[in-house]
Amino acid sequence: MAKVSVLNVAVLENPSPFHSPFRFEISFECSEALADDLEWKIIYVGSAESEEFDQILDSVLVGPVPAGRHMFVFQADAPNPSLIPETDAVGVTVVLITCTYHGQEFIRVGYYVNNEYLNPELRENPPMKPDFSQLQRNILASNPRVTRFHINWDNNTDRLEAIETQDPSLGCSLPLNCTPIKGLGLPGCIPGLLPENSMDCI
Amino acid sequence: MKLLKPTWVNHNGKPIFSVDIHPDGTKFATGGQGQDSGKVVIWNMSPVLQEDDEKDENIPKMLCQMDNHLACVNCVRWSNSGMYLASGGDDKLIMVWKRATYIGPSTVFGSSGKLANVEQWRCVSILRSHSGDVMDVAWSPHDAWLASCSVDNTVVIWNAVKFPEILATLRGHSGLVKGLTWDPVGKYIASQADDRSLKVWRTLDWQLETSITKPFDECGGTTHVLRLSWSPDGHYLVSAHAMNNSGPTAQIIEREGWKTNMDFVGHRKAVTVVLTCLKRPLVVIHELFDKSIMDISWTLNGLGILVCSMDGSVAFLDFSQDELGDPLSEEEKSRIHQSTYGKSLAIMTEAQLSTAVIENPEMLKYQRRQQQQQLDQKSAATREMGSATSVAGVVNGESLEDIRKNLLKKQVETRTADGRRRITPLCIAQLDTGDFSTAFFNSIPLSGSLAGTMLSSHSSPQLLPLDSSTPNSFGASKPCTEPVVAASARPAGDSVNKDSMNATSTPAALSPSVLTTPSKIEPMKAFDSRFTERSKATPGAPALTSVTPTAAERLKEQNLVKELRPRDLLESSSDSDEKVPLAKPSSLSKRKLELEVETVEKKKKGRPRKDSRLMPVSLSVQSPAALTAEKEAMCLSAPALALKLPIPGPQRAFTLQVSSDPSMYIEVENEVTVVGGVKLSRLKCNREGKEWETVLTSRILTAAGSCDVVCVACEKRMLSVFSTCGRRLLSPILLPSPISTLHCTGSYVMALTAAATLSVWDVHRQVVVVKEESLHSILAGSDMTVSQILLTQHGIPVMNLSDGKAYCFNPSLSTWNLVSDKQDSLAQCADFRSSLPSQDAMLCSGPLAIIQGRTSNSGRQAARLFSVPHVVQQETTLAYLENQVAAALTLQSSHEYRHWLLLYARYLVNEGFEYRLREICKDLLGPVHYSTGSQWESTVVGLRKRELLKELLPVIGQNLRFQRLFTECQEQLDILRDK
Repeated sequence: MAKVSVLNVAVLENPSPFHSPFRFEISFECSEALADDLEWKIIYVGSAESEEFDQILDSVLVGPVPAGRHMFVFQADAPNPSLIPETDAVGVTVVLITCTYHGQEFIRVGYYVNNEYLNPELRENPPMKPDFSQLQRNILASNPRVTRFHINWDNNTDRLEAIETQDPSLGCSLPLNCTPIKGLGLPGCIPGLLPENSMDCI
Repeated sequence: MKLLKPTWVNHNGKPIFSVDIHPDGTKFATGGQGQDSGKVVIWNMSPVLQEDDEKDENIPKMLCQMDNHLACVNCVRWSNSGMYLASGGDDKLIMVWKRATYIGPSTVFGSSGKLANVEQWRCVSILRSHSGDVMDVAWSPHDAWLASCSVDNTVVIWNAVKFPEILATLRGHSGLVKGLTWDPVGKYIASQADDRSLKVWRTLDWQLETSITKPFDECGGTTHVLRLSWSPDGHYLVSAHAMNNSGPTAQIIEREGWKTNMDFVGHRKAVTVVLTCLKRPLVVIHELFDKSIMDISWTLNGLGILVCSMDGSVAFLDFSQDELGDPLSEEEKSRIHQSTYGKSLAIMTEAQLSTAVIENPEMLKYQRRQQQQQLDQKSAATREMGSATSVAGVVNGESLEDIRKNLLKKQVETRTADGRRRITPLCIAQLDTGDFSTAFFNSIPLSGSLAGTMLSSHSSPQLLPLDSSTPNSFGASKPCTEPVVAASARPAGDSVNKDSMNATSTPAALSPSVLTTPSKIEPMKAFDSRFTERSKATPGAPALTSVTPTAAERLKEQNLVKELRPRDLLESSSDSDEKVPLAKPSSLSKRKLELEVETVEKKKKGRPRKDSRLMPVSLSVQSPAALTAEKEAMCLSAPALALKLPIPGPQRAFTLQVSSDPSMYIEVENEVTVVGGVKLSRLKCNREGKEWETVLTSRILTAAGSCDVVCVACEKRMLSVFSTCGRRLLSPILLPSPISTLHCTGSYVMALTAAATLSVWDVHRQVVVVKEESLHSILAGSDMTVSQILLTQHGIPVMNLSDGKAYCFNPSLSTWNLVSDKQDSLAQCADFRSSLPSQDAMLCSGPLAIIQGRTSNSGRQAARLFSVPHVVQQETTLAYLENQVAAALTLQSSHEYRHWLLLYARYLVNEGFEYRLREICKDLLGPVHYSTGSQWESTVVGLRKRELLKELLPVIGQNLRFQRLFTECQEQLDILRDK
């Protein structure tokens, strides 16, 4: 049984300009005191096409974690625009929050992120070279995609690799205001980012 | 008979393997297969029982679901008390669940809020022992034990009072054990297995009583479960799966001689309800389910049964009394048990104990009163529940919203050794909580030692920015939450301190290490251990050489700085946001060449303190080892082992605030008036606007004051004491060596000299309390320093040392007594929450609380984080409480003594320690008939012992086991009163 379960992730300051930092307020519950720290990461998916454009925005250790409910704010700088393919700058992409214990990932929370120009003119005629300062980032906070993995919480050897519960109610459609632009909505186009079973609902 | 199949009770079509109705009949649990995991669901019973409730959308049907089991759940069982639910599954685990109150409905994160859990059931224990699927679990009568059986061929008996303790593992089956049942009087447990045997075990020694094989000879090993059951009167055992002439039967086994003469015939996917007085089944229901029946549970009133099936559905059978007859009440059942089997220890529990004869009407009265109180509390609690959201949303007096607003600002972030960010999460709730008390803000399990080890073990810098208004984790690692600063640094560090404190100082005497440090450092940063580390790393040799010739000069200069600093702080004391610099105490002792350390005291506004007269002073004492270099330089001819404390140097003027309420401060101006070539020093004292002043002939080095006296130490080892109006009370006292620290509380004056001797005088009564006592015994042998001094109102001096220990001097015994130890593991393991009278009583203030800081409180909290065997827990708690009582006694803090004594007694009562309790009572009571030879004192630290005993009596009365003791004390007290 997972020792840590995420109770909630609140997206703070959303929507916000592209360059402002990401801020997530994470509440989690721990059923037994952990011997070691949890490691949280924010991964920004630069391009749906390839994992190589993924940017780890920040990783942070959280601890000590005694039994109980805890919360913290995870703040990470905005992604480096120079690492994002120009064609992928505007539109829908994904930001992931992962947590690992002893190097094993046990939860992955994915959010759709929509980057778009606020200015209607720019929206109509987007510049060839994306103007990141004009972009607004909107995280689809109401629809987190949560995947939980069984990991080995103790130091004993039997490892469980199976994917834990996948809630069927996750199967919700993308809201309309978040129009998939570059075929991101197609199943399996972000290989390895979200497990298959949570993608086929899109 | 009514038959109902509530379709809403399902596991989304997955099989349901087990069903159990809660003892109070309001809910039931099902266990079975979930989506990729095992699943336990708790359902509301009323929609099953009443059609109206089923249709009412406001009545929840599903109360809670738990997906924690990794694989299919084979069995769910409520404890007899209804407090716990045990579940066992294919993941080899048994989980014990308990309802968590105060935490409101919650959803599974990411599940779109569809599956709100109305009740929160939390796994409180995971029992790991079986090496195969757990097939059945069973609670013993009175919930003393929990038994589980598994396909690993064993039955495990767990101690249900102290999970996860295993009392016995019953081996003997040679096949998968698939069913368990307890004898209703707790004498036996029966198990049935695929090895075609039914075994009965004794609970007395956990050995096999009998093994029954004959009826099962023809059985195949195909059933999923073999749930057998014991009749409520204990006479018969009904097995699930037997064969009689190739027909499936339910074998009846008699308790008398384990005879197997009877059976119930006629099972094929049917439910048969048998009335024992008839020869035929009462009712046979066919084709109720598509697949086999897995589990059956009777309702409390015995008139209904819930049946679950592999096909994933549940059926409810409702009978009337006409059909089944009148059920027996629990008491009647218990009476039958007692008449049949007699009283045995196994069935003697609290419930029975309460039916024991009450010998004393007074006892009865107390019991009644107690019940009334509990009722009152309950009603108060329910009233509070109305505003439960606000209760739940408050941590440490701050609402959750406030916390969230400031979370980012307040959250403690550090860097690990490899430079990674590390966030200490904010603890918003304890687990297993019925009580939503989070006593500490950060989730570091803080007690002094833990925070201390965290500081020292992490060689990585740990900067903990302290906002004085924030209750921070670091509060506990400070010797006391008083704004005391014990800063220590070598000359280089010190000069940086000077910069940072904006004190005027010439950077003339900078050693090379200063050059490596940034010139502009924020006050906090200056004490960052990263910095200390660096300055430590710089070669010590150059600094040493530069010190030697100018050591004296340097000392002087430092003293100047030292004296300036308190004033600086004083001036800025209006600024409540003033940061308190902290230094790593351990760094202090390590450095060889260590010059003076300073004492800063500051009163902070916005931090209420009960007793402003108990004012700790901080200072550092150098141990011999650290002193060698300096000694050489100063050419001191002190004996090798002599301790030397820092001496305040003369300075032109300084101000000292004695207290803020009433406002009182002392001003000293040295060498102000010249009368015929003689320089005089002036001492001014202002108390609530009333001022007085006096002059002294020599320069004043240090001053101290209380509400009753003002005293000053001058050059030439002179100590003068004045009344609050400025009248000299004593002719000057000649101290044996120069003054190091002076302190006053009430009419007590404490002087700590440079030769590390301590004296305390009562100025009003003009007697000595402590006479030139050496600190040698508490400081000897290690690099310890005194970090804080305290003088209680009873004139007891207390020294807090840098290693977290605190000693007080007991004048009557002439000994140093250890009263507090931050490293004390007892404090961390002690758990006496159950004995706490109420939350606010914990806020007991006094010298002991000040010395121990918040540790006592947080240790109590931290105790929950450790899982210690119960016996060890008991012992440590006792030892800890006894320490506290003794410490409060030594400190002559009557209020605290009473507090801890009552707490201790309450713990003794709760845990049933008779001898110690009796001893306490005996001492408090004393001899009833007066005799001249009696050594008995009627008071202890100013409290009348018999009054204390009267307070204790209701506590003792809470446990019927002590009714004799209660009666004895009560009667003797009555005799005394009548005299």
